[in-house]
Amino acid sequence: MSNEENEYISLPQPSELKQTEKEDAMGAYLMMFASIAIGLPLPIINIVAAVVYYFVNRKKGNFVKFHALQSMLSAILLGIVNAGLFYWTIHCFLNETFTDFYFGYLAFAGIANLAYFVFSIVAAVKARKGQFIYFIFFGKLAYHRVFSKKYIEKAKEEFRNLPPSNF
Amino acid sequence: MGFKFDIAHQESYSRSALLIRSFFGFFYIMLPHAFLLLFIGLWGSILSFLSFWIILFTGSYPRNWFDYQVKALRWATRVNAITGNLVDGYPPFGLDAEFPAVEIEVPYPENLSRGKLLLKFFLGIFYVILPHGLVLLFRQIASMFYSFLAFWVVLFTGNFPANWHAFNVGTLRWGARVSIYMAYMSDEYPPFSGKE
Repeated sequence: MSNEENEYISLPQPSELKQTEKEDAMGAYLMMFASIAIGLPLPIINIVAAVVYYFVNRKKGNFVKFHALQSMLSAILLGIVNAGLFYWTIHCFLNETFTDFYFGYLAFAGIANLAYFVFSIVAAVKARKGQFIYFIFFGKLAYHRVFSKKYIEKAKEEFRNLPPSNF
Repeated sequence: MGFKFDIAHQESYSRSALLIRSFFGFFYIMLPHAFLLLFIGLWGSILSFLSFWIILFTGSYPRNWFDYQVKALRWATRVNAITGNLVDGYPPFGLDAEFPAVEIEVPYPENLSRGKLLLKFFLGIFYVILPHGLVLLFRQIASMFYSFLAFWVVLFTGNFPANWHAFNVGTLRWGARVSIYMAYMSDEYPPFSGKE
């Protein structure tokens, strides 16, 4: 048995998952459309929706928790990128100066949004089939946070009341 | 299990509760519940929007999201039933709260028609909202009239006339059926009736 197998619990397989778990996992990636759903095109709405979705669904099993966490982390990063673009654009309009650096960032943000959109749709489809997909960086982070035995045992630990220090 | 929407008719109604509810209900029932239901509804609208796309691609409504919408409907109906004096008591907070006087069951459709989904989305306003909305508008006015009269009847006799109660419950039932249909939760066209 490898070191990795000792540190992590086994992954649920598609046949072991309930249909509701697969649907809930899929829903996590669709939170990127939350701002469109309520008609307010603000990056913060998608982040709030992803965070709410994670906290509402994290106890519905490790499969749902993994996908919700991965979606939330990637939504937060993209939200920061979009918020930066939003404020920079306003700043540029007010000062009437559009630098090359701004256009570079604009292109980067555009590509990041497109990549996020494509990856999220692919991930939603895979999640509905009960499969895992790992995003760059966030995939490993979410896997570690959800399937690591260390974290699971830590969550199970009961809080112990202690007397004040130096008493 | 079929569609069920019922609000219990009580043998007698409390006069003091009626007066307190009528004069202060806005503050201690409407405001706190409306504040929470605003967020519940906002989340519900996000899920409803996403469900449209999910149904379009998969042909089914996500089960847990469907249950959420039904629970939200139950909560809103509890508040409506009590503020409309159809039942005594205080509406409990929470999606999973129990309130036996208000019973709502919506059968989960395993499969939903994509064709009807698109029909509702593009033409729903013409063949559902306009005809039902028009009839329901007049029915709502009649219900408000009954509610006003029932206030005095309950105040003096302690009883809510059963037929008026059934009529007002029917109005809520009718509205609920239309909402469920337009929220892509059923493929069955809502009948032009408030009856069970």
